[in-house]
Amino acid sequence: MNQSISRQIFRAYDIRGLYNKDITPEVFYKIGCAAGTYVTKTMQGTHCVVGSDIRQSSPLLAHAFIAGMTATGIHVKHTGTTSFGQTLYMGGMQHADLIAFVTASHLPPEWNGIKFYYGDGVGFPEAELMKIRDLVFGDRFELAEWKNVGSVQSINAHVEYQKFFLSKFTFKKKLTVALDCGGGSMTLSAPEIFTALKLQMIPVFCEPDPTFSKRPSDPKPKNLTMLVQTVKQRHCDFGVAFDGDGDRAVIVDNTGAILSADQTGILLGKYGLAQKKGTVIVNVECSKAVREQLEPLGFHIKQIPVGHTFLTLEAKQEHAPLGIESSGHLILPEYFLFDDALVVPLKIAQILEIVKKPLSALVSEIPMYPTKKEEIECPDELKFDVVQHLKTRLTQEYEHVNTMDGVRVDLPEGWVLIRPSNTSPIIRLTAEAENETDLQRLLAQFMKPTLEAVQKAKGKTTER
Amino acid sequence: MTKLFGTNGIRGVINQDMNGVLAMGIGSAWGTYLKKTITRPRIAIGTDARLSNSMLKSAVAAGMLSTGCDMTDIGLVPTPTLQYTVKEKNYDSGVIITASHNPPQFNGIKGVASDGTEFSKDTEEAIEALYFSQQYTRASSDVGTYTTWDGAIDLYIKGVLSTVDVARIKKQRFHVVLDCGNGVGGLVTPLLLKTLGCTVTPLYCELDGTFPGRNSEPTPENLATLIKTVPEADASFGIAQDGDADRAIFVDEKGTYIWGDKSLALAGKYITRKKKGDVVVTSVTTSTCFEDVIKANNGHVIYTKVGSPIVARTMMEHHAVFGGEENGGLIFPELQYCRDSAMTCTKILEILANEKRPLSALIEEIPRYEMHKMKMPCPNEKKERVMNLLAEQMKGNSDVVNIDRTDGVKLFTKDGWVLMRPSGTEPIFRVYVETKNTQDTQRLAATYKDIVERLIQRV
Repeated sequence: MNQSISRQIFRAYDIRGLYNKDITPEVFYKIGCAAGTYVTKTMQGTHCVVGSDIRQSSPLLAHAFIAGMTATGIHVKHTGTTSFGQTLYMGGMQHADLIAFVTASHLPPEWNGIKFYYGDGVGFPEAELMKIRDLVFGDRFELAEWKNVGSVQSINAHVEYQKFFLSKFTFKKKLTVALDCGGGSMTLSAPEIFTALKLQMIPVFCEPDPTFSKRPSDPKPKNLTMLVQTVKQRHCDFGVAFDGDGDRAVIVDNTGAILSADQTGILLGKYGLAQKKGTVIVNVECSKAVREQLEPLGFHIKQIPVGHTFLTLEAKQEHAPLGIESSGHLILPEYFLFDDALVVPLKIAQILEIVKKPLSALVSEIPMYPTKKEEIECPDELKFDVVQHLKTRLTQEYEHVNTMDGVRVDLPEGWVLIRPSNTSPIIRLTAEAENETDLQRLLAQFMKPTLEAVQKAKGKTTER
Repeated sequence: MTKLFGTNGIRGVINQDMNGVLAMGIGSAWGTYLKKTITRPRIAIGTDARLSNSMLKSAVAAGMLSTGCDMTDIGLVPTPTLQYTVKEKNYDSGVIITASHNPPQFNGIKGVASDGTEFSKDTEEAIEALYFSQQYTRASSDVGTYTTWDGAIDLYIKGVLSTVDVARIKKQRFHVVLDCGNGVGGLVTPLLLKTLGCTVTPLYCELDGTFPGRNSEPTPENLATLIKTVPEADASFGIAQDGDADRAIFVDEKGTYIWGDKSLALAGKYITRKKKGDVVVTSVTTSTCFEDVIKANNGHVIYTKVGSPIVARTMMEHHAVFGGEENGGLIFPELQYCRDSAMTCTKILEILANEKRPLSALIEEIPRYEMHKMKMPCPNEKKERVMNLLAEQMKGNSDVVNIDRTDGVKLFTKDGWVLMRPSGTEPIFRVYVETKNTQDTQRLAATYKDIVERLIQRV
């Protein structure tokens, strides 16, 4: 218990680290004590919903966390091993003061961590998460007297969650959908709900596989070859792949083409929303196609920083009908404020039933522009200064500059975004343009000042 | 090195000396201990009805799972139900979260071996050593799995009923006042008694971890309501259980509190009579009335040190037909080698059904002795020498017929016996005096109080 806890595990949106190294039951007990203290003291709350993903170490970490929470007097409703959406849904139903989900999202199986949400599904902002971190490092836990120690009640998320989807979706047409859960937590909910909704389901990696031995849990295009092949061979109307915890969905059309989050988001906005008004939330990395496609229909587009915590927070404040994160998180607040990936394929199925065209036909109507991401190595201690310097410089040089998250410059032929990575010693330069030629020119045009700024920052440190 | 395990597991006040850190460490040490000999240990875990049960259970489970033990949570259960489940379902070990009869601010962790008996001292010491070394085995991809099973109480009740002639008991239509003291016995005993055809008048049978009905230890003072209710309700008798339902105390139809020695003797008498002349086991503090009834039925008594695990293990070694202690902890080997209040109730019902006489009449037949208990302060480091000196000094004493050193010093005189035992937890001697009548008991008590006090001063 005297092991020192790594500060690195506390990140902007969650806590994560390598199991048995930075993440142990002892550390999770302390995090439980800290989160419990935060809920009782800062939120004046009393009860929480706790669940965990399919990773092998998740149940024991959930137990350790629950032991800490109950020690501070929090009453816990425990959903057990579930998809992300099942636990979040139960948290909403139970009006939890805090929802905690043990997961390391799409990371490899030897990782684990935890994410916190308010009862309505809005993720904990960084500032609040850091308060919990500070309680951990300060060992400032308010343990309850014996009379007030918290209880634990097991609750079944499967039944209620399925009921919800049955009340929201009915399909008359028998659509064939290839379902790739990657052996992750979605194996616990998606197959049973697809079946209950009478969709013709072709399972791909739908058996629980906590070590992700079939494919990595990150649904990147290169990990989806089996899904693409299945969609083509079985003549599916579309296919869907989920990440390990079930907060990201990737759609594959009937020809086997993998859609970007932007494309899926545009489809949802164009065909899936009854009323074409309100604010659609997109992050600064999203394609310009989103604005081009959705604004003329009557939507207003609001740009936000990268990070799905901002997505739910902004969507709540703006009463947005749709939120799109380029990394693959999509929210449809008519169902949930949080990014339960299960609603995405169901909404796509609903669209196909209404529109009566193959998905590829809908996709082909959306123009997509070439994009490119470059990584520039830059030490962690310099990367923020470098981007700060570029903000000042580029704001002077260009007319349309947005600095809410890094620096984004909009030009007639496209845009460029320069931002420090939150996790690695890297500065990312992302660009999108009308065509390849413009793209290459934009990249070159902005790579130069970025490299200069890095060199200058490095020079300064050597002088010192 | 502080000792964690006391006579009955590890106990403490919640969030003070009994907390999540300790519980998780014990879980880790325990799992590490099992992993040394078993590739994939299977552990059953259950709790009594205390408010902190889930907290401690989660903490112990987290530790055990991290070492690579698979766990089955059997929920809220009496201690003997967990023990029976471990034995019947072939678990490698069992964990019960309970502080037995302690006040509600306490909770604890008790260990069960694969045969359903409480952990031996050796096992406890091995786990304790691992806990202090913190050299835990940590599994990586093969951490334990956690499942729940709600069949333990059914399994247990079936087991208890299989040991008696149910139809015979049912025919008597007993009326029983049952006082569970808001403990976890409330989940088993009412159901069991109804299955045995009893009318049950319940007292504090709802589970409540604050123990609002009465204090958990079934002393005469704590059972005032039961003592009053039994004659008022015109019941056959009354039963009181402790917090984790391993011990039972009886009140006869007139409302008289029956001391644990007497119920022990009553059960022993009919068991040895039926089985004819077999071995029974009890600890050195038990009244001579027990030995009297056993001998009268051609039985033989083996005495052990105080503590139900020792009594149980001695019973196993000697294939004893019965055993127990004077605190209401009775052990019936036909079901399992641990004290068991539901079995005790069932056996007493069987005796009453066979004898067809009131409980008071049966107790009346047990020989009477007068026991007196005292506490005498003595620093821990002096205890050993005081006891040795006493034994030495008494060797030449013509009053002393025999000296027994099974546990402390037990002196047999022509009038009765005196037992001096060092407390394991406090700097005191517990002194017991028993003779046939009050005068002799008081006289012996005064004499030996004086002798021991002088010895303590001299050392």
